[in-house]
Parts: sequence; structure tokens; C-alpha cells
Amino acid sequence: MPETSPLIETVDLVKKYGDKLAVDNVSIEVYGGEIFGFLGPNGAGKTTTIKMIVGLLQPSSGMVKVAGYDVQAQPLLAKASSGYVPDTPNLYAKLTGRELLGFVADLYDLDRKQVVRRIDELLRMFDLTEADDDTIDSYSHGMQQKASLAAALMHDPKVLVLDEPTVGLDPKSARLIKDILRQIADRGAAIMLSTHILEIAERMCDRIGIINKGQLVAVGTMEELRKLDQTSEASLEDIFLGLTGGAEMAEIAEILK
Amino acid sequence: MNAPSQASTQMFSAVWKLLRLRWQINLNSFKHAKKSRKFWTILGLVGLLVFVGFIFWLSFWLLGFLRSPELTKYVGLDILPFLQAIPTLIFTLMFFGVFLTSFGVLLQALYLSNDMDFLLAAPVPIRAVFISKLLQAVLPSFGIAAIFALPILFGLGVSGGYSLLYYPLVILMMVTLTLASAGLSALLVMTVVRIFPARRVAEVLGFVGAITSMICSQSGNLSRSWSDSGEPSSAQLNGLTNLVTQLNVPWMPLNWAGRGLLELGEGRWLSGFLLLSLTFGLAVAAFWFALVTAERWYYSGWAGIQVVTNKKKTSPLPSSVTNKVSLIATVSERFLPAPVRGLVKRDFLILTRDLRQASQLVTPLIFGLLYSFIFLRNGSEPPAGRGEAPDWFMESFRALLVYGNVGMSLFVGWMLLGHLSGTGITREGKNYWLLKASPLRPAHLLAAKFLVAYIPALALGWFFLVGISIMQGISLISFFYGLLMVAMCLAGMNGILLGLGSAGANFAWEDSRKMNSGKMGCLGSILAVLFLPLSFGLFVGPLWIVSVFQLPIIYGYLAGLILGISISIICAWLPLKMVEGRIAKLGEA
Repeated sequence: MPETSPLIETVDLVKKYGDKLAVDNVSIEVYGGEIFGFLGPNGAGKTTTIKMIVGLLQPSSGMVKVAGYDVQAQPLLAKASSGYVPDTPNLYAKLTGRELLGFVADLYDLDRKQVVRRIDELLRMFDLTEADDDTIDSYSHGMQQKASLAAALMHDPKVLVLDEPTVGLDPKSARLIKDILRQIADRGAAIMLSTHILEIAERMCDRIGIINKGQLVAVGTMEELRKLDQTSEASLEDIFLGLTGGAEMAEIAEILK
Repeated sequence: MNAPSQASTQMFSAVWKLLRLRWQINLNSFKHAKKSRKFWTILGLVGLLVFVGFIFWLSFWLLGFLRSPELTKYVGLDILPFLQAIPTLIFTLMFFGVFLTSFGVLLQALYLSNDMDFLLAAPVPIRAVFISKLLQAVLPSFGIAAIFALPILFGLGVSGGYSLLYYPLVILMMVTLTLASAGLSALLVMTVVRIFPARRVAEVLGFVGAITSMICSQSGNLSRSWSDSGEPSSAQLNGLTNLVTQLNVPWMPLNWAGRGLLELGEGRWLSGFLLLSLTFGLAVAAFWFALVTAERWYYSGWAGIQVVTNKKKTSPLPSSVTNKVSLIATVSERFLPAPVRGLVKRDFLILTRDLRQASQLVTPLIFGLLYSFIFLRNGSEPPAGRGEAPDWFMESFRALLVYGNVGMSLFVGWMLLGHLSGTGITREGKNYWLLKASPLRPAHLLAAKFLVAYIPALALGWFFLVGISIMQGISLISFFYGLLMVAMCLAGMNGILLGLGSAGANFAWEDSRKMNSGKMGCLGSILAVLFLPLSFGLFVGPLWIVSVFQLPIIYGYLAGLILGISISIICAWLPLKMVEGRIAKLGEA
């Protein structure tokens, strides 16, 4: 059962780039034990919102709380509670996988006695043990993505935020990541992930938020979203296209068939 | 139309499209550039034209002068063989120059550019991709060669009254030889890439290139220091002329182009055409051979690098090293927070593994060795000049030279800090998100970056200080005072460079050799250069004053320590304190 107080909370979050409003009054709550899917068309404001949640961007206005800490006022406490996996896994090319995880352990000031065991555990979990002493520039995209997720899990965060975590992964790795995320959520962590793969969102996520042109246009479970569409059989794709204005495009594509 | 000619038409059409695409990209970047950049580009092009015109005029004038019989009579040298060897010399230099410089550019263009996936997936003949890449890569080398070679060769023609046919054939020969040279260079690239991973070759090449160019640039200083007289002797000039003349031997294919042009220019049509035809045929054959081989090798080589895992197993350290490392780790654990330790360790690992960055770190060492040699060879004596300087000035100068060891140490330390300090945070590049998303205090980040720059700079500075001090045989107190001076001055300089460099940190770079910390970083470099003589003066000035007023030297040392250490600590701390608040906003462009 989800906890009563949210582990991720945004209140009237706004981000402006000059005159352009990238995120417009977005309020989200994600509770411990749940996986929250964050959907939206390209350029809708997903990555900007996520970056504000993990403290990579400062909001123009509004508030973000992670694990009960205000990201602006208590950034170190908030960041210590969260893990982040970006859409592009830019990692230190000249470090080995093992060295990267050791470095992350230092950044989060983890207990040195636990670090080696934790690194071995994560490398084994993500099938990176054989490549642990290879530099990251020799890793494939999928391996880098897995190394990035391993780094995010190093400190066993209460909150995990992932931006397109399954892009470029083979089905086996994608399945592995889905299973791991479910396990982490079941242990009480709050997970927020953005994705374009609606099937993943539909099957994995407990609740889904849809953002369009910077505004949160719908939030809820699949059943709650179906009610919005007023059809009990509607798929997430139908609901998504209906809410983001893509339904006309789908009709055109149907005619072209 | 038969099949081969259709294929060739298709290939040339594809080459044309690819070159047009490149031209479009360049044109677009010019169109969308800032006004100031457009202005400087246009000004640069105009300046280049003026420069070419100047070289042409100079060549024409100088070659005309060298041809004058009065000069031959006056100097006693027959200059004609030298003049006849000029085209051969130019073509030989150009051929090998293009061959060497194209290697790195072709490696980048053929194997490491981002558009290869796109091009090889498109229905474009592989030969067309190869030709277009080769032309793009070789154009800058050809341009530079043409800027210098064409005016000289044209000047030679005008001053010698050569026939009109000489001029277009000069251009034709240059183009042909450049293409042949680039083709062979491409073959070498493809051969090397079949054995070694392309990225590793590029890194090693960057390292070797940077070190070689730096050594070459400084060889003049070293040779001047080695030779007793700065003026070239008549024997040296004779030797040089003979060397150039000896290059002009008839059996070398590279000489045929130069000799052919001369024969043609001077009206010996038959031998001229024969030599030029031979050169042309040979060059076309070399280029064709490169093309045909490329078709076979290029795709397999390129496809190969997609699957080469580029594994770099990190070898375990020997036990003696491990013991030392664990000792350092235990000591650092007591004094440094874990994030600082982690950052320092990681930065040192990356610096030693990335050859492109390592080349920048070796530069100060080579400069230091070179200038220390020059400094010690001159016997630590001030230059006598014309002997008009008053005695007190010479005495003071001599007293200051005792601290030449400190000056040298600060010089190498400053060079190393220039590479490590100002770009300390910029070096994070696109990986900065990892630090920003972590609970890392700005003070810890700055402390780590300070140490990463300071430890090697101090070690190198002290290494030179100890070495030069032993050679100079200076007193123990001066030596220890020097150690402290170097430590404090480098700390102050590091604070300025790091503080301002962090304020202008720029994470948008692809090649670590091209990163810069913007205008603020540039300002930091200027301030650090101003700080260096100031802090040096505050340390050494009181010593000089007490020697002038014949006071006990201990007062000088005390005053120097108080003044020098104070200014160094202020400069090491204040810029970092000022920039600490800005760290949280970095990387939000």
C-alpha cells in the first residue's frame, strides 16, 4: 500500500526559458511503493520537469519536495534521498564500471565497508561483472544505460527518477530493468519514469501523468484515465492521443492505409 | 550508356551531392553566426588575400634579386641550382606535409565523424563517400600549402619570364600531387585502423602530435642556446644551399614535377611535357590504387570499428604501489571528506588515462627542462648588455637571480595550473549531471578541483626547484624560503584560476583539447599572470630592501613571509568563496 505522504511532490511548478513557458503550473504527487509514469509528446516538458525534481534545474517558481525535503532549500538532503537516470547515459568514459560505482559511493559518502559488497551486488544484478574492469568507453549503449542505473541505485535511494530508461535496451535488459524497478517500488521507494513506450507505462505504472505543452492534462490510474475518455475499453494510446491532440494524426494515418 | 560509365556518373553525382551538402552546412553556419563572428570571418579572408599578395610580391622581388648576376659575383655562390631546386623542394615538402597532416584529419573524417551511420545506410556508393571525405579532409592542408607555395612558384615564373603554360600546370601538379599524397595517407589510415581501434589511434596521434609540435616550436630556442653565435655563417649558408640542391636528383619521382615545370617554363617543351606526364600518370595511378583499395577496405574497416569492443582491462597494480596507495588513502581519509577524496582520485585516473589531456600535462615538463637547461647554461649571470647599467642595478639583478630557481618553478607550475585549474570544473563536460544530481557540497567540489590542480603543480614546481637549487648550490635557508614561496604563490594563482574558471564553466565540448572556461576563465588567466610577479615581489622585495639598507637578513625573511603568505592566502581563498554560490546554478544553460 502506498504511504500517506508523498515522496515526490511538486506544487505549481513553473519553468520559463526567456519568454517560452516550458513547464506551466505542474503539480504531481508520487507516493512510496508506486511507479509513476510520466508521458507526453516530444517537447512537452517531461525532461524539464524531471530535471527540476532531481535538482538539475532551478524552477522559475513553484516548489519541489523529494522525500519531504525542499529541493531548493535543502538540496543536499533531497539529493541524498534520490537517484537519477538521465535519457542519455553520459558517464566518465575513462573510468571502469567498478571505478564509477566506487566514485558514486564516495559522492554519497557511503560506508566503505559496505561499498565493495554493494558494487559486486549491482554489477552482478545488471550483468556487468565481466566488464567491470573495462573502461566505460568500451561499453555498448545498453551497458552504459545499465551502469547509469546501477550508479543511481548505489545508495539505495528512497526516490528514483528515470528519464526514458528503456531507450536502446534489448528486450532482455528492458525486462530486467522493469523487474528491478518493480522490486524497488515494492520495497517502498517512489519511482517516477518518463517514457514514450505506452505499453511499458500501461503495464508497469501504478499511476500515469500526461503532460502536454507544459501543462499536466491528466493524472490517475488506468481506470481513472479511461473514465476521462468515457470509454471503458480505451487503450492508453487512445487516451494519450485524445489528450495530446494526436487523435487527428491517427485518423489521417488510418486513411492513408 | 554502358554499365561502368553509368556507375561512374552515379558516383560523381553522389560526390557532388555530398560536397554540396558540406558547402550548405558551412554556408548555414556562416549565415546563422553572430554579427561579430561574420565580421571577423570576412576580415580574416581579406587579410588572407592581402597576405597571399604580399608573399607573391616578396617572392617575385626576392627571386628576381637572387637571379641578378651581380649578386652571384658579389657573394661568390652560384645561386642558379638553388633556384632550380625550389619547385622540387616545394613539391616534396607539400607531398610529405599533406601525407602527414592528412593522416589525423582523414582518420577523423573517415572513421570517427558522426555522419558515417547516415551515409553508409544511404544508397550512396562507398567510393563516393570515400572521395568526398578525402576531399573535405585534404582541403585545409591543400589551402595552407597553396597559400605559401603558389605565390613562390608564380613569383619564380614571373621573375624568370616563364611561358604562360607554366602557371596552370603549377596548379594542376599541386592538385594531382595533393590527391596522390592524401590517397596514400588514407591507405595508411585504413591499414592502421585494421590493426588498432580508430579512437585509440586518434588519442595516441593527438598526444604524439602535440608533443612533437611543442618540441619543434622550442627547438629554435634550444639551438640558439647551444650555438655560441646567433649569426648564420657563410659555411652554414653554403651547406644549406648544397642540401637543397642535392634534393634535386633526376631519378626521384617527386622531382619530376618540379623539373618538368622548369623545363616547360624555360621553353624545353618535349622534356617538360614528358616529365609532367610521368608525374601526372604516377600520381593518378597512386590515387586510383587508393580508391580501389579503399572500396574493399573502407567498409570492412569502418564496420570493424563498430564491433571492436575497445577493451582496456585495467591491470592490477604491483604490491609495492598498492601499499603506497593504501597509505595515501589512509592519510587522506583522516583529513579529506569522502566526496573530495573520490573526486580527486577520479580526476587523477581520468587525467592519466586520457592521452589527449595527458599531452597538455607533459608540455610544462618539457618547457621546464628546456628553459632550466638554458638558465643553468647561462651560469645564472645577468646579461652584461652594453655595460652601461650602474653597479647597484647589476648587483640587485645578480641577487634576484638567486631566486631564478623559484622563477623557473613558478613558471612550470603556472603552465600546469593553466591546463588543470581554470578548466577544472569545465572538464566535467556532459558528465556534470552526475555531480549536480548528487548531494555534493559546492565547497567540496571546489576543494577537490583545487587539489587536483595544486598537487601536480606543486610537485612539478618543487621538482624543478630542488633540481636547479642543487645545480646552483644555493644556501639552505634560501632553498627552504624558495619551497615556501613556490607553495604559496601557486596556491594563490590556483585560487584565482579556479575561481574565475568555475564562474565561466562551460560543459558543452566534445574534444577535451577544445574546452575553455569562457571570458571569465580568460580574465582569470590574466589576473593570475598579474598575481605572479606581485606575490614574487612581496616575497623577494623585502630581502632586496634589507640588503640595500644593510639590515639583518632575518627581517627581510620575516617581512617577505608575512606579505607573501598573506596575499597568497587571500588570492587562494577569496575567489573560491566568491564563486561558491554560483556553483549550484552551473550547467543550467
